[in-house]
Amino acid sequence: MGLRLLATAGVISCWTLGAQTPAANDSPFAGSNGCRPCHPAQALQFFRNPHFKTTVAKGATPENMGCEACHGAGKKHIAAGGGRATIPNAFSLMQPNQVLDACLRCHSKDVNRANIRRSSHTQANVVCTSCHSIHRSDSAKSLLAAKQADVCYGCHSDVRAQFSQPFKHRVNEGFMTCSDCHNPHGANSGVSKTGHRPRMVETGLQNEQPCMKCHTDKRGPFLFEHAAVRVDGCESCHSPHGSTNARLLKRPVVFTVCLECHNGSGSFGRQADGIPTQSASHNMADPRYRNCTTCHVRVHGSNADRRFLR
Amino acid sequence: MRVLLIVLANVAAHAQPVVAPTPQTAGSPRGDNAGAYNITNSWEVGYRFRDVDGNNGKYRSDVNFGNGVRLLGGTLGVTSRDGKGKWMDELLLDVRGLGNDPYQFSSFRVQKNALYRYDLLWRSNEYFNPALPIAGGDHFLSTNRQMQDHDLTLLPQSKLKFRVGYSRNTQGGPGLWTGQWFDGRGDEYSYFANIRRNQDEYRLGGDLQIGRLKLSISRGWELFKDDTNFNRDTLTPGANTTDRNTLSFLRRDEPLHGKTPYWRAHLLAELSKQFTIHGRFTHSDGQRDFIYDEFARGTDRLGAGRNRQTLLTGAGRRPVTTGHATLTWIPNAKVTVTNQTGYHQTRMEGDGKYSEINNGSAGIAIAQFQFLGIRNVSNTSEASWQPVKQAGVFGSYHYAERRIRSNEQEDFEIPRGTVPIEQINRNKAGIFGARLNPVAPLRILFSAEVGRNDRPFYPTSDKNYEAYTARASWRQKKFDLSTDFKSFNNANSTSLYVHSSTGRTWGATTGFTPRANVRIDAGYNYLHLDTLTGLAYFADFELVESNRSYYVSNLHTLHAGVQAQVRKNVDLYAGFVRTQDRGDGRSAAPGTQSIFTAAQVFPVSYASPLARVSFQVRANLRANFGWQYYDYAEKFARAQNYAAHTGYVSLSYSF
Repeated sequence: MGLRLLATAGVISCWTLGAQTPAANDSPFAGSNGCRPCHPAQALQFFRNPHFKTTVAKGATPENMGCEACHGAGKKHIAAGGGRATIPNAFSLMQPNQVLDACLRCHSKDVNRANIRRSSHTQANVVCTSCHSIHRSDSAKSLLAAKQADVCYGCHSDVRAQFSQPFKHRVNEGFMTCSDCHNPHGANSGVSKTGHRPRMVETGLQNEQPCMKCHTDKRGPFLFEHAAVRVDGCESCHSPHGSTNARLLKRPVVFTVCLECHNGSGSFGRQADGIPTQSASHNMADPRYRNCTTCHVRVHGSNADRRFLR
Repeated sequence: MRVLLIVLANVAAHAQPVVAPTPQTAGSPRGDNAGAYNITNSWEVGYRFRDVDGNNGKYRSDVNFGNGVRLLGGTLGVTSRDGKGKWMDELLLDVRGLGNDPYQFSSFRVQKNALYRYDLLWRSNEYFNPALPIAGGDHFLSTNRQMQDHDLTLLPQSKLKFRVGYSRNTQGGPGLWTGQWFDGRGDEYSYFANIRRNQDEYRLGGDLQIGRLKLSISRGWELFKDDTNFNRDTLTPGANTTDRNTLSFLRRDEPLHGKTPYWRAHLLAELSKQFTIHGRFTHSDGQRDFIYDEFARGTDRLGAGRNRQTLLTGAGRRPVTTGHATLTWIPNAKVTVTNQTGYHQTRMEGDGKYSEINNGSAGIAIAQFQFLGIRNVSNTSEASWQPVKQAGVFGSYHYAERRIRSNEQEDFEIPRGTVPIEQINRNKAGIFGARLNPVAPLRILFSAEVGRNDRPFYPTSDKNYEAYTARASWRQKKFDLSTDFKSFNNANSTSLYVHSSTGRTWGATTGFTPRANVRIDAGYNYLHLDTLTGLAYFADFELVESNRSYYVSNLHTLHAGVQAQVRKNVDLYAGFVRTQDRGDGRSAAPGTQSIFTAAQVFPVSYASPLARVSFQVRANLRANFGWQYYDYAEKFARAQNYAAHTGYVSLSYSF
């Protein structure tokens, strides 16, 4: 085993980990080349890693280059002949908030991570290395530990069950990813809905729900908006992860979705006098009248009819 | 390395995807050196087949894989070994389903360290909806949606960088629409729709870092066009075959064009290690100009000849302004405190002029106007405390005030309209949670949220709600087990009607690696939902107010999978997923008259076993075979049931 390691180290000694700025003798930094002999697997593949570019960045200081950019100064670790206790940042020993601090030292400037400190993931101690694998990634771009859906399903098994229903957004098929709609690094609160929920949902172009990023025809603006869509969002009627209904409705049939709100009760609705009931010409005893969207075809919003008939 | 690769492949098998492409790739993961670059690649070409027994339309709605030759998957990676490539340092290409799969994508990245980075994501989806009878009112659609996103970043690692981007989203194809002519008591007809929609988005931006200050600004323009046209020139009966209503000709053009220019700005100020301020501001102007031009000819419900021409012009506008300010205070390694104030304002207004000519004589002319304004101000304070390594707690308090203003106007000969309305809803919600890590492999999380809305917008909105979550996981190299429980209860009541909703889910998943070349995964989930809502509807001209809408769903999901590597060159996978909604356990559908009085259920089962074999023939060549079966079965009605065999044979090759 020892011979194999030596041989491997010998092979990769031909490789360079980038143009390292020689550290001063009194510097605690050793440079990434000092890590190669004992960590050949990481060193051998590191040129594929997005972090490799730190080793060739012009003018970068030792604390921002290569292995030591993340793991901290390594001279003491080398002098000690290894051991996790001598690595300033041994991620397997670090507390979640320490992992977060280490990564955000460089990655905080990306605006989609602006809410990471207050995200539900961070509160649950799900931090960077819970999903990302820096040295054993399945994804060259984002260094995820596995395919994105698999990473998410690992904890969100209920969501996996929802995506196992007959009709769903095509995440398992690879057409979509969870991050098309969600921001796992945390989202802003209080966009249009009032409460906390749902969390981690990314906003679309007009700060509306992410559904509109793809379903552009539903965005409007329309002369006659279906107020529920704009006030409480698409999930007022739809179950976005999966459903037995081919339009991802929350109920198997459309008329119960409509009638549960259009019952005229209380002070609900845009006029605060109850959401209008159907007119007396509708006969729900006749199945023909249960197909609401046969006539109310523009249910997401219409320019021609306030009742969304065309 | 072999162990590593097996572990990664096993993780990929954790969620059972469609049978192809094959997860195992041809060629060495270390790649081959060519000059200053290292190249990895694997291309899988094969034939996909299907055999559907039963309702093919429903199969296409749910699965939609067809027959034919495909580039099932492909990857290419070209990476400079020293990070100093002449024109580029990295090129990544990933494709899937090219040829004629219903779900295709391609992602591409090329970058030169410190100089530029270009990303492309292209996706295509063949959508099919057969107008399923279970969802009455659905419309037949067979459309293709293509999306592409291009993003170029200049000087990506510098303190001043520039971004340019372009996205395009198109949807096109035939559809069958429905509508009602010639008045509110007329008949319903279907008509052809030639769907043509596209959206283009252009964006520019830049990022600047000065010391601890990071500023990001984006400017974008979205352009949308919907040029769908509709026509019907053959005489077909309406939904009600006993009336005298007919529609013999229909032509409709309703072009809708618009734009949404927007600004986005983000500011991050890391004042010290302990204190950070983040600000976000966005503003967008949305406008859609529309024309609605329709000519319809037929007979009305009394049998009299009718022709009607409708012309409508106008515009809808929706400016949106948002702002967020987030303060983060980290006094020490154990405590994090954040506070976020959010502001979101949407104004939706539009006007239109509607005119109608009936049988060649002037009909009605209406001027329409509508306004809906939503302003939401929220504040959230959150704190997290980790007193010891093994335990921590967190909590938050959220307050939001949403003001909704509404006004609608329609002016006929005698002006009429609604009185402007203003309503305010206040939400107060609190969260408390705890996380435990008593021993290294074990993690436990519990959180509870209690929220109150004093004026929800509609009867099924959240009003008095409680949400509970609990998770426990045990993760070791060879064995992992995780369980989770969620509960959500909501009660929204008024003096006459009640809406309540109860949802509970719990599940357990496990993975076991008894040997380096074998991995077993299994899991079970139970999702329960029942809702009860007051109804008011008309039946035989009588208002019925005594019924409730009661919906029950008991969804059970089971999945299992085994992956094994045999003799270093054969990879096997067998998996099974079964989803079953048992409803409330009844065995027969209720009668049509009791549709509201009995619990609504939709018992259905959906199972999908699959098996896959991948042989490594040579170092750079693999032969793959796979089969996946889909069984969809409704319990009450069988018209939509189907069983489908799908599968593929393919070769994976690395050059």
